[in-house]
Amino acid sequence: MDVPAISTEGLTRRFGELVAVHDVNLRVAPGQFFGFLGPNGAGKSTTIKMLTGLLAPTAGRIHILGLDLIAKPLEVKRQIGVVPEGMALFGRLTGSEYLNFVGRMYGLDRETAAKRTAELLEFMQLADQPKKLVTDYSHGMQKKLALAAAVIHGPKILFLDEPFEAVDAIASGTLKAMLQRMIARGATIFLTSHVLEIVERLCSHVAIIDRGRLVAQGSLEELRAGVEAQAATGGPAAAAEGATQSGREKLTLEQIFLRTVGDLRRADQELSWLG
Amino acid sequence: MAWLIFAPEARGQFAAIARIRWQLFVNSLQTVRGRVELASRIFMGLFIALAGVGGAIGFGGAAWFFISQDEAGWLSILLWSVFLFWQLFPLMATAFTENLDSSNFLRFPLGYPSYFLVRLVYGSLDPATALGSLWLLGITIGIGFADPRLLIWAALVLLAFAIVNLLLARMIFAWVERWLAQRRAREIIGVLFFLFILSFQLIGPLMNRYGEKPRPGVVRVSRELSPAQRLLPPGLAAEAIARMSHGQVSAGLGFFAVLCPYGAAILWLLNLRLRAQYQGENLSEAVGYIASRKENQALRLGWSVLGFPGPIAATFEKELRYLSRSGPMLFTLITPVFWLLIIRLSGKGGNFLARAPDLAFPVGGAYALLLLTNLVYNNFGADGGGIQFFFASPVRFRKIVLAKNLAHVAAFGLETVLVWLAVCMMYRPPAVDVTIATLAGILFAAPANLALGNLLSIYSPKKLDWGTFGRQRASRTTVLASFGIQFGIFGLGTVVFLLARHYGSFWLATPVFLVFSVLSFTGYALVLKRIDRMALDRRETLISELCRA
Repeated sequence: MDVPAISTEGLTRRFGELVAVHDVNLRVAPGQFFGFLGPNGAGKSTTIKMLTGLLAPTAGRIHILGLDLIAKPLEVKRQIGVVPEGMALFGRLTGSEYLNFVGRMYGLDRETAAKRTAELLEFMQLADQPKKLVTDYSHGMQKKLALAAAVIHGPKILFLDEPFEAVDAIASGTLKAMLQRMIARGATIFLTSHVLEIVERLCSHVAIIDRGRLVAQGSLEELRAGVEAQAATGGPAAAAEGATQSGREKLTLEQIFLRTVGDLRRADQELSWLG
Repeated sequence: MAWLIFAPEARGQFAAIARIRWQLFVNSLQTVRGRVELASRIFMGLFIALAGVGGAIGFGGAAWFFISQDEAGWLSILLWSVFLFWQLFPLMATAFTENLDSSNFLRFPLGYPSYFLVRLVYGSLDPATALGSLWLLGITIGIGFADPRLLIWAALVLLAFAIVNLLLARMIFAWVERWLAQRRAREIIGVLFFLFILSFQLIGPLMNRYGEKPRPGVVRVSRELSPAQRLLPPGLAAEAIARMSHGQVSAGLGFFAVLCPYGAAILWLLNLRLRAQYQGENLSEAVGYIASRKENQALRLGWSVLGFPGPIAATFEKELRYLSRSGPMLFTLITPVFWLLIIRLSGKGGNFLARAPDLAFPVGGAYALLLLTNLVYNNFGADGGGIQFFFASPVRFRKIVLAKNLAHVAAFGLETVLVWLAVCMMYRPPAVDVTIATLAGILFAAPANLALGNLLSIYSPKKLDWGTFGRQRASRTTVLASFGIQFGIFGLGTVVFLLARHYGSFWLATPVFLVFSVLSFTGYALVLKRIDRMALDRRETLISELCRA
């Protein structure tokens, strides 16, 4: 049996009284395009920070490619690429200097780092303005640069926190093409996103976290089957609608998500002054 | 004047803004940091009250004296002092100034008159306005005591003068804010500001050099400049009162009449800026670049630093590139040389180095080291969000910190060479024993500063933001700690040097410093060894502080 690319056991993180992530057991197989979803404040970013070593867990274990992250952080970090929430850029470098720097921090020799830098800048359409500092890039350009930095060393796993947020359609297309190419080469991608359409189109597997607890995990088909089964047995809010829907067409990820986190009722609410 | 008409909902909006400010204040008290901030505000408030009342009494007394002695023309000295303080203090002490992010209000349906008023009032709640107003009140009362007939006229003129000051301060702030919004303008302004500060420091030495006895040229220039100052607001206000006190009513009214257009002109410039903000100007630099150029696309290899592995060389390169792109930091390199020049200009009798030129190199070196603390004591401040990369990368923190320290040492080495050359030219080439002893002293002081700086960088980080007022310095804790550290390190170094001088040989200082340097190197190595654990333990604080907007 394959060693999972990512696995956690009882992963927990507390901030004082607040339990941001509670007893999360994740399992992501190698080569999966894995979407990690959840409402705002559910614990997505906290989880991804723990998985990438940016935040210490209060309890639980994390294994990346079979290696314990706490015991062997450097070995793990060599094999992963990260685009964290704030993108982790150095504003006063040019794009080329930044990628060169990142490549060498990941152990590439000078020539390889320079060559990959040039290729990535070209691929990401960032090569036109070589003297421009990162701080002067637009948000979309920064996102592309952050992704380029995350892949420069050819990681086996890529962690992306909201990679498509505030990115235009053209840049988004470039990013998607690149991610799909990485999957085709056997890499594993773990991403969080609020854009469910993109997740549905890209990801083969999904996990949903709500109020710090993992409430669903599996392939899209498995999740769909689960929700439909729940609807058939007269599950909570969505039962009636879910049953009729399943007879006609497949549930979208958005419908699965809303039913899983139990927010259908809220979506149906009306505001008195909006009629 | 249509723009002065407020929208019907303006009153409710003002109330909402005032309420939200109060709520923010109350909420800030929920954290320890907020309570400490309140305590420091109370402390500052007491200090301001003291300075305000004391200053008002002093200014009032001086005004009373000038009017009583029939020397009303001297009032211009008082008004120029108030004017300079009112305009310069907010720029120099930015940490005490409230700076409003206008974008917070622009998304609401706030009319332009309301926006203008909010900007004016919000920004005016600062110590400079409070102190300036109190001092002008003191001057008014002083004049009233000396000549009660002048009281109403003085009150009217000084009220106009206060309004001019208030508007000018807001206008300067609004324009500086606009220039700071763009990196290139920011860098140019940084250079000008630095030159301004340096030129201020030259006033003392130049006064010493040229002001010992009256020089006809200087006296002539001063005499010719005196009428010129009467054309500016402080001179106009003083002259308006002085002429009235001499019974020259029409002249007094004339000077007052010239003061008012200043207010109008400043108001117009302020209005120009605020209206541009209100209309949603775009200061983004992203659009300012023209996509072009396929040249410069040849592979650019990173630096290779002899004997050091790739990550250290890469971080070293990154640090020096950062340094080369930071105007204020670059200027710290030339400050010691400038400082030596100032001391040299201060005259032969008055300063320590004139009597002991053999100590010029050690003193210059110590000053250079002192400036190095700007870089070292908040190692990660300039990295901002990049700190996340350091934690996510497969490189031990000790290597990152070592590379940063190597860059600091390289900058300091260059600075020391500059100081040595400056000492050679301005004083005399330092003797071999002094040079060796100074280098030995540096071997002691530099690792000690680096070690302590690394600790403070981990335990008291602060994001440096060159584009925001009050975010260009390390945290207050770091500043306080650095005072103590420098006191200890430089105190020890001074004692050793003075003892060696007392016993007639600087060679004596060298072995003492070398013994100390063994200790400081050991301390540095110990800190470096443990820094991985410390950084990991503090990663949440580091990331949250350095990644904040």
